[in-house]
Amino acid sequence: MTIALAQRPATDPPPRVSVLRRFGQLRQTSPGRLQLLLVTLLVLSVLTGLVAGLTATSAATGTADLRDRAQPLLVEAETVYSALADADTTAAQAFLAGGLEPVRLTERYEADLARATTALTSAAQRTPEGSEAASAVQALAAGTARYAALVATARAVNRQGLPVGASYLATASELNRETLQPQAKALLQFAEREVRTGYEEARSSWWLILLLVLIVALVIALLRTQTYLSATTRRTFNIPLVAATALTAMLVLTCWAVFSNQRDNLGYAESDGSAPIAALTDVRILVLRERADEALTLAARSGAGPHEEDFQAARQMLTFDDPALDDVGELMDQARDQHERYVQLHEEIRAKDDGGDYDGAVELAVGQTTSSAFQVLTATIDDAMADRKGVFETHIQAAGWGFGTLIILGPLLALAVGVLAVFGLRPRLEEYR
Amino acid sequence: MRRTRPALALLAVTALLVTAACDGVADPAPPPPAIAEATAAPPPAAAPDTACNPRASLRPVGALPAPARLPAGSQMAKIRQNGKLVLGTSQDTLLFSSRNPFSGQIEGFDVDLGRQIAEAIFGDPNKLQIRVVPRPERTNWVRDGKVDLVISTMSATCARWKDVDFSTVYLETGQKVLVAENSLVKSIDDLDRQKVCAAAGSTSLENIAKEPGKPIPVAKASFGECLVAFQQNEVVAISTDETILAGLKAQDPYAKIVGPRFTQEPYAVAISKDHPEFTRFVNQVLDRARADGTWAAIYTKWLGTAPKPPAAQYR
Repeated sequence: MTIALAQRPATDPPPRVSVLRRFGQLRQTSPGRLQLLLVTLLVLSVLTGLVAGLTATSAATGTADLRDRAQPLLVEAETVYSALADADTTAAQAFLAGGLEPVRLTERYEADLARATTALTSAAQRTPEGSEAASAVQALAAGTARYAALVATARAVNRQGLPVGASYLATASELNRETLQPQAKALLQFAEREVRTGYEEARSSWWLILLLVLIVALVIALLRTQTYLSATTRRTFNIPLVAATALTAMLVLTCWAVFSNQRDNLGYAESDGSAPIAALTDVRILVLRERADEALTLAARSGAGPHEEDFQAARQMLTFDDPALDDVGELMDQARDQHERYVQLHEEIRAKDDGGDYDGAVELAVGQTTSSAFQVLTATIDDAMADRKGVFETHIQAAGWGFGTLIILGPLLALAVGVLAVFGLRPRLEEYR
Repeated sequence: MRRTRPALALLAVTALLVTAACDGVADPAPPPPAIAEATAAPPPAAAPDTACNPRASLRPVGALPAPARLPAGSQMAKIRQNGKLVLGTSQDTLLFSSRNPFSGQIEGFDVDLGRQIAEAIFGDPNKLQIRVVPRPERTNWVRDGKVDLVISTMSATCARWKDVDFSTVYLETGQKVLVAENSLVKSIDDLDRQKVCAAAGSTSLENIAKEPGKPIPVAKASFGECLVAFQQNEVVAISTDETILAGLKAQDPYAKIVGPRFTQEPYAVAISKDHPEFTRFVNQVLDRARADGTWAAIYTKWLGTAPKPPAAQYR
């Protein structure tokens, strides 16, 4: 005791460098080496458990965000866009029809407006506050209200037989095409970007790489410890460490199963769901644009003008052969034929109008033949869209499989590895006491 | 509404749904349909071109030929061969040429005048094909032969005479101001630095910009859309020819027309410079209408008690 007391000033306070040196010195002695191995195993297993939990959480959150927010936002943005475009077309046709607005068109316009406002309400909940998209949603909501008011005034004034009703409709249409549709397009583009980043976040690639590195390190550390022990002791196997290795293997298998399932399903959701939905969105907006251009050309009563040029431009851009649409190929073949039929009718309408038969052109444009030809086309596109939405739903649900278990099981397994490492090494350490 | 980018403006301007008003639309050059900040005025006009008498048209030769005896090779004979007289006009200028919401037909003073010319060519006033001309395009469409003639509340001016020929004057009017019923404004002079609407491509818009009090001209695609802007309180007044204002006032009991005429607007039929014989023919038709009471009948039908028709002036 006295010696110990006398010696203390010599060793205390230890200079700072000596911490590192002592750590290094541990490797010189057998118990030191064991202590180092134990610490390494503990640190690695705790980190692995932590990262496994975090990776699973991040992937699960990402997948859920994609499923519950990004993709639905895309669908809503598309709904807003197409509903506004369709409302504009419908209003133009109602005007062309003259006299009392046909019930069929009134109902269609009302349905369009309801779809647009409903989609806007839910889109508002899915856009981050203060973002560009949130302000687009707000502007769209306000603009749509103003648009509806202008159309309602136009109807009321039309009922009194005043030509200014037509001007109200023109003003409404201008608002729709110049202001609202570009905003809807911006929202759609934002949603497309969100879906792209949604897939990246769901895949959580950086977390996964970190987890992989840690697991590899843990396995190496476990194996090194066991080879060291079997070389320095008489026992070939250290049972707790063998068990720890088995648990680690289980962890690896579980992670592999859960993550590869997720990646496969995300891949399918993207290639068979999101990509065709995006392509179908383009198709739908282009055919709506054609129909609107047709009505606007007739409403302007100026012969083939800029709207007819726009019709031809949209027709050029329209394709039913996008590779993303292979899975709905049959429906697209139908749609192509139906579109051909509609374009034929459109050419007939143009020929009538250009030939001086304006009334005949209008009759054909708003009449049953052309209306149903166009309706079957949009119905086919709707079917294809519904089909692909179903595929997306299935895969995105499947992609979320196993994360709940992994979030709990991952850290538990890693913890067990750590505990087993302590059990395996402590008896060896105690031999040196 | 915000100011639009030029590309959008072009699209939209042309887009005019309905109405589509005769005006404005298809021209890439016209000012964007500004509502709020309205500076869509035409470039400050140079000194008024007074180098001519815009009322003096080409003198007819001989008597009006019967429809079956139109001079061979003349533009009238060619139109007869085409089967229809293509009339360029607007579809939202009530009383002159506007779309009847019940029938979908375009009707008014200008259209009836067109029917008189169709009657002289075909013996049938209904051989008329109406095409709505964007207001800023009126002279271009006549020059390029997209329409046979334009009758669309169009004033004969020296500047326009450079591009097209005009018939003799069929109506004399002048610019006034339309304001709210309870407004204290008495004339254009009381509208300093206030927003006043007119259709893009109209002389009215240029005239507003020339006023010394510097009212702010707001360009809309058509006068119908000016009335919308007026009813939505986006502009305090609309200023254009008294006759057009009468058509607007008829649709809004809370509007009144005030002030003296501060411009003179002689309306005439615009015809291509390539066909002087057609202009002379139209003048013959107008002369006949003035003489036999047809002009007075059309005037009474649309505008009320007919005054004496404006006398024809020739070069």
